[in-house]
Amino acid sequence: MSRSRPGAIRSRVTSLLRRFAEISGVDRVLIALAALGLSVLVGFFIVLGSGRVAECSTAAWTMPITGMGFCYDPFEVFFVLFNGALGGPFYVWEPAIFNPEWLPITLPWLGFMPGWSPFNNAFALTMSETTLLVFTGLSVAVAFRAGLFNIGTQGQLVVGALLTALVVVALAPLFPANRVGGVILIAIGILAGAVGGGVWGAIPGALKAYADANEVITTIMLNFIAANVAYVLVLEVFRAEGSSVVATADVPEYAQIGPWLFPPTGDFAEAALLIGFVSLVALYLFLEHTSLGYDLRVSGIQPLAAEYSGVNAKLTTVRAMTLSGALGGIGGSIWVLMSEGRWVESIPDLGFDGITVSILAGNNPLGVLPAAALFGVLKGGALQVGFQTDVPPELVGVLRGLIILFVAMPEFFRLIGKRLVPDESEVEPSSGDGNDGDGVGGTAAVDDGGEASA
Amino acid sequence: MNPAVHLDGITKRFPGVVANDDVDLAVERGSVHALLGENGAGKTTLMNVLYGLYRPTEGQVVIDGEPRSFNSPRDAIDAGVGMIHQHFMLVEPMRIWENVVLGNEPTEWYGLRVDEEAAREAVRDLSARYGFDVDPDDRVEDVSVGVQQRVEILKALYRGADILILDEPTAVLTPQEVEDLYDVFEELTDQGKTIIFISHKLSEATHAADEITVLRNGKNVGTVATDDVTSEELAEMMVGREVLMERSGATEPPGDVVLDVEGLVAEDDRGVEAVSGVSAQIREGEVFGIAGVDGNGQSQLIESITGLRTPTAGSVSFHGEPLDDVSRRERIDRGMAYIPEDRQARGLVMEYDLTQNAVLGSQHDSAFTDGPRLDWDRAASHAESVIEQYDVRPPDRDATAESFSGGNQQKFIVGREFERDPDLVVATHPTRGVDIGSTEFIHDRLTELRSEGKAVLLVSSKLDEVQALSDRLAVMHDGEFTGVVDPTTVTEEQLGLLMAGETPDDDTVDYVDDIESGDDSKPTESAGEEVSA
Repeated sequence: MSRSRPGAIRSRVTSLLRRFAEISGVDRVLIALAALGLSVLVGFFIVLGSGRVAECSTAAWTMPITGMGFCYDPFEVFFVLFNGALGGPFYVWEPAIFNPEWLPITLPWLGFMPGWSPFNNAFALTMSETTLLVFTGLSVAVAFRAGLFNIGTQGQLVVGALLTALVVVALAPLFPANRVGGVILIAIGILAGAVGGGVWGAIPGALKAYADANEVITTIMLNFIAANVAYVLVLEVFRAEGSSVVATADVPEYAQIGPWLFPPTGDFAEAALLIGFVSLVALYLFLEHTSLGYDLRVSGIQPLAAEYSGVNAKLTTVRAMTLSGALGGIGGSIWVLMSEGRWVESIPDLGFDGITVSILAGNNPLGVLPAAALFGVLKGGALQVGFQTDVPPELVGVLRGLIILFVAMPEFFRLIGKRLVPDESEVEPSSGDGNDGDGVGGTAAVDDGGEASA
Repeated sequence: MNPAVHLDGITKRFPGVVANDDVDLAVERGSVHALLGENGAGKTTLMNVLYGLYRPTEGQVVIDGEPRSFNSPRDAIDAGVGMIHQHFMLVEPMRIWENVVLGNEPTEWYGLRVDEEAAREAVRDLSARYGFDVDPDDRVEDVSVGVQQRVEILKALYRGADILILDEPTAVLTPQEVEDLYDVFEELTDQGKTIIFISHKLSEATHAADEITVLRNGKNVGTVATDDVTSEELAEMMVGREVLMERSGATEPPGDVVLDVEGLVAEDDRGVEAVSGVSAQIREGEVFGIAGVDGNGQSQLIESITGLRTPTAGSVSFHGEPLDDVSRRERIDRGMAYIPEDRQARGLVMEYDLTQNAVLGSQHDSAFTDGPRLDWDRAASHAESVIEQYDVRPPDRDATAESFSGGNQQKFIVGREFERDPDLVVATHPTRGVDIGSTEFIHDRLTELRSEGKAVLLVSSKLDEVQALSDRLAVMHDGEFTGVVDPTTVTEEQLGLLMAGETPDDDTVDYVDDIESGDDSKPTESAGEEVSA
């Protein structure tokens, strides 16, 4: 019997997925770190390969022993990627004394850059991206926990951002142009963003609850609607006079969230990160320590049990989507008030990255911060790689994608494993359940393939 | 001579469950062997081990004296073991011969084309040899379930099976088809095939088998020759001991009506009417039992009462107030406890620990909340008290629900629901999969609740259970109550007839429901409507 056996393959896949589903918390962190290392290793060879194919006058890196030249230096690329994201706290030096001649390669040493301060523009970019992704990541995560796949965070962010910009610009004359007035305007702006995003999230929630419309489809469609309606509205009605791009008027300086320590040019404000952190902790407490959070979690994990326990499934769906949308909308507020100072047509894909951030975080609010930070580092670092090396931006994009792919994949498999692979003990008849035919479910699932191959 | 099949000390463990515990089984060639036991006794698991679907944790499978280690059903088939599952695995739009040869087609043109004529011929030959009345050219979807079962058997025979395992083969058959199946058994064994079939029905085992092995809680209780054993002895082996449950009648007459069901009509998930006009009144201090074969509308009736299903007609009132627009949560809050039929889908959140499961259904109850906050400390101590009182093992409130055995999961649910201090307990199969000791405990608690003046609605497929516990016993068939009887006087035969939807044609049946008690007119097909207050 040399033929392949679908039954055997299938059970292998099943048991593999099951193993992913049963991984513990500590293991998940370790796996993520291992995946990060592995992605760097694979990326290393991709850089080498591209560097061999590319044409350049002088080799950026020469392979020891073979003397083969490469256009890009993989060590440098990854060093700059991570070091650059922090604004270059380290530099590389090669001490002559410690480098015996019998060693084929020069050992690089890391030195601490004198005069480096964390409050630099490069690090600000990293932190700004991190902050924005905390909101969109939380937005996707809360929907996920309720068993809903919100692809619409992007649209909710667009709507929230527009509403924030419009409300703050409109109300600015009513408040004193000082710190106090600024804080009030910022609070109103964030509230407006939350309402805008919340309403935009509630729509697919209600469609799902009361018309049985799949939220994946509706949220995707609402993304387009949000982007285009916002564009037309700003183009036709709210466009700032004399603006060369489609943008609203600027939010007054005092009503923007400004930095305390970072340079004002960096578009990052510590206060915004603080708001993100507070949202994160609040969301965690909501999910784990409130009745409504319990309703939401049970709905996501076992809808039948939720129904049994008296959870109103429709209402919970609408609630979860509203909350999810509100978080996306706040992300939009922060984007306007911290980064841009106005609504502009060129809105980054923060909502879509939020999906990956959430998966990376295992849909746990507490995991969203490190996941967002990884994205922030990659974003800030990629820019520096572009500045400091000859590596084309496309290749940097490949490296970013590779790292995200590697780190997210184990979590992704874990999610699939949890959803698709029935727990053995559940299937197993002799747990004493079983209706007439004990264990038929398990039998059928495993057996199908085996029989077909026979 | 070696037995055809010899299972030697098979133990199969699943997380938290021992499905088979050191089971020995020997089956002679050319005999029919019945594997008898209650649901969850481990019969199917054992056969899945024999068929290579599960690998035994311990023990060995010996076929024809040769120890085997099966990694997949493929290996088992190669060793001559075939299994016919309860749910057939046939491609319905395809013809019978196509189904039989599927995966092992005779080919021509160097394997490029299926040799249809050869395949048809082979199926026709097989069919004729064993006296199956099967036309290879019929489509599977066009033939009866009984014939489909034969196609499954043909499939196994075509692959060279000498040992046939049938999982609950009669469950899907009409009585006539069952008789035909027994004939097929005879034909097969005459020609040297060995048959093992799984059943939980005594009569089937004694009727069709040469030898019977009884499994209970994963253990082999004994193997007996059919001729040497009586049904009573077998029943005792299955259940474990004489189940003469002490009846403790209500000490006080029932009080006010707690639950009033009036002309209830409900559909199942497919939109087919499953409950056709059921009426019942359940009073304080009374256990109202519902007996009947599973799937006669009990589930839909119960779900309509507990608020998981919206009835299409009729009404449910609780303490005199109609529940039409009352949500499930409100029903819980008003004092309705509910032990659901499907504990793993509904009764517990399998991935959560017992502390989190302890508040399922009371997550908004002020007993566990301060405003919007859920107090996990109080939940934990509640979980602990349920674990302790109801003897949930292992007593670990931080373990996830899925890590407990079915019986212990059940005990936890029962405890949680009983401790709600309800006015009405709706208990569906409260002791399913629970060991004897705990069963007794749950029965005692049910009786206690009754003497505390609670109303209890009990649904169980265990006749002895409903009979011993109920004060009034309704028998449900095809969505209707065929009768509401006095469980102390009704005989098993009468119950059997009522469960089959027929009316015992004597007047010894004590119909106790308000209307029928004085009126021995036979409950007709519209008995449901008559049985009302």
